[in-house]
Amino acid sequence: MLELVHFQVLSAALFSLGIFGVLARRSAVMVLISIELMLNAVNVNLVGIAAFSDRAADVRVFGQILVVFIITIAAAEIGLALAIVLRVFRNRGSANVDELNVMKW
Amino acid sequence: MNINFSLLVPEYVLVGVAFAVLAADLLLPRQHRFHLSWLAAGGLVVSAVVVLVQRWDTAEHLYGGLFIADRFGLFFFVFLTVLTAVIVLISHDYVRQHIRQPGEFYALMVFAAVGMVGMAQAGELLTAYVALELLSFSLYVLVAFRREDAHGNEAGVKYIVLGAFSSALLLYGISMVWGATGTTYYAGISEHLALNAGNLDSTLILGLALIFAGLGFKVAAAPFHMWAPDTYQGAPTPVTAFLAVASKAAAFALILRLFTQGLLPALAEWQVLVAVLAVATMVIGNLVAIVQTNIKRMLAYSSVGQVGFLLLGVAALGHVEGGVVIPVTLASDAVMLHLVGYAFANLAAFATVIVVYNHIGTDELSGYSGLAKRSPHLSLVMAVALFSLAGLPFFVGFITKFYLFTAAAESGLLWLAGVAMAASVVSLYYYLMIVKRMFIDDVPESDITSALIGIPRLSWLLLSALLIGTVLLGVYPGPLADAVGAASSAIFSGA
Repeated sequence: MLELVHFQVLSAALFSLGIFGVLARRSAVMVLISIELMLNAVNVNLVGIAAFSDRAADVRVFGQILVVFIITIAAAEIGLALAIVLRVFRNRGSANVDELNVMKW
Repeated sequence: MNINFSLLVPEYVLVGVAFAVLAADLLLPRQHRFHLSWLAAGGLVVSAVVVLVQRWDTAEHLYGGLFIADRFGLFFFVFLTVLTAVIVLISHDYVRQHIRQPGEFYALMVFAAVGMVGMAQAGELLTAYVALELLSFSLYVLVAFRREDAHGNEAGVKYIVLGAFSSALLLYGISMVWGATGTTYYAGISEHLALNAGNLDSTLILGLALIFAGLGFKVAAAPFHMWAPDTYQGAPTPVTAFLAVASKAAAFALILRLFTQGLLPALAEWQVLVAVLAVATMVIGNLVAIVQTNIKRMLAYSSVGQVGFLLLGVAALGHVEGGVVIPVTLASDAVMLHLVGYAFANLAAFATVIVVYNHIGTDELSGYSGLAKRSPHLSLVMAVALFSLAGLPFFVGFITKFYLFTAAAESGLLWLAGVAMAASVVSLYYYLMIVKRMFIDDVPESDITSALIGIPRLSWLLLSALLIGTVLLGVYPGPLADAVGAASSAIFSGA
């Protein structure tokens, strides 16, 4: 039987995977995908709470409203980030984050 | 529920100004487009006047508390829009020389201002988050605005990747706080914390910790400051000024309101955490600034150090006496005063950096050798700005740091005030190194041909105004302190 805790564990696992990806991946595109994973972990958490918590219906529906906001903002954010990454790729011929070292210290 | 849409007229004016700048950009011939700064700055000032007329004495909750129009919001609305207007004017000559799309540049600055005033007036986490993202999105584009510049690209990627990462942390925190309390309104969170004081759900504590981390990234508090130096160095200098001054002020407006109206009842749980963040930020920012060779990078680390002082004020927002949390209004006064004083001094410094860059084409510290012989006015403004940032008497930085340390002492955080004073001394060292460079060192041989630096008239006026402001507020802070006091009592009375 599905319970709230299953969603919370799934969400925490996805979020941790996302953090790992941000820290470990070299390609800027993969880093952005990892960030998307983190944002969707938040959505899983919110949807889970909205569906399974024992609060009043008007409180629970707010979770779904939050999810819609997050999806919208995340889409815009990733679009913007990809545009900037594309710019870097055009200028340097590579989009690896560990090669972004013009500036140090 | 109050749905009085006319209350939002000043925000509509701001959005209108941004679109007007974009539209005018299409209509003007290319060589006159840099004049759009007048339209943007004028519009920002008009919206500040509109808000002063309309909300002088309001304390209204719009949409059941999503949006709070009170004296605190009014103060930050006026402060942030005027600040943006000044930055727009400072960037006038820079944009003329280095930026090919002035309309978009200025319109994004005005959109960022809309986000900032939203952050200062949001009474709920989702609203605050959306406003924060409006600011961040505008800044992501502005930082990477010089598309062909390798430094600008790199700065843009680092900023947006870490910005998006911190947004994810913040959102995960918000989702946990909402799950644990069933509300995202500051007032509701405050009620929940007061009812369950000393016995908080671990989900709630984890959620709050994630929110702190997310906000820590946004204000560049150590250990979340890694993006700041690279982003500050690579961004166009007016945008760096915007990041260092305006976006920080807005983030602290959000933090002050969230902490006083939402989290104050749980002070005992977070006070030490914020104090430790403050110490780390002050120490790291000020120590690493010493070894910098690029002025924008040095100012970046110096601003990380200043964030440490501001966090000291946040940690001092209250103290616990016999299990009861007693708010310390002086602390929020001090944070707001420091934001204003820091804005004057830092804008003066960045305005100088822009004029020097426009003339000699570099931001390296070596370009500042013998500046006093090349332009006495510029080096005077820079010296005063640096003295004020270091907190020397007669300049506004001294008064605001005095307030901060007094507030820390009042909340029983005397040790924190001690660390802050030591950090101030360290900061004085690297500020004085620049002063020495400007006044004692000689102009490098290679630059001797272009010895004198001419200052455009607009920059001259702004530099002088910022210089006078830094000194005047230092010797006569009374009116500002009154305004700040009225603003900060508004957020405490609601708690």
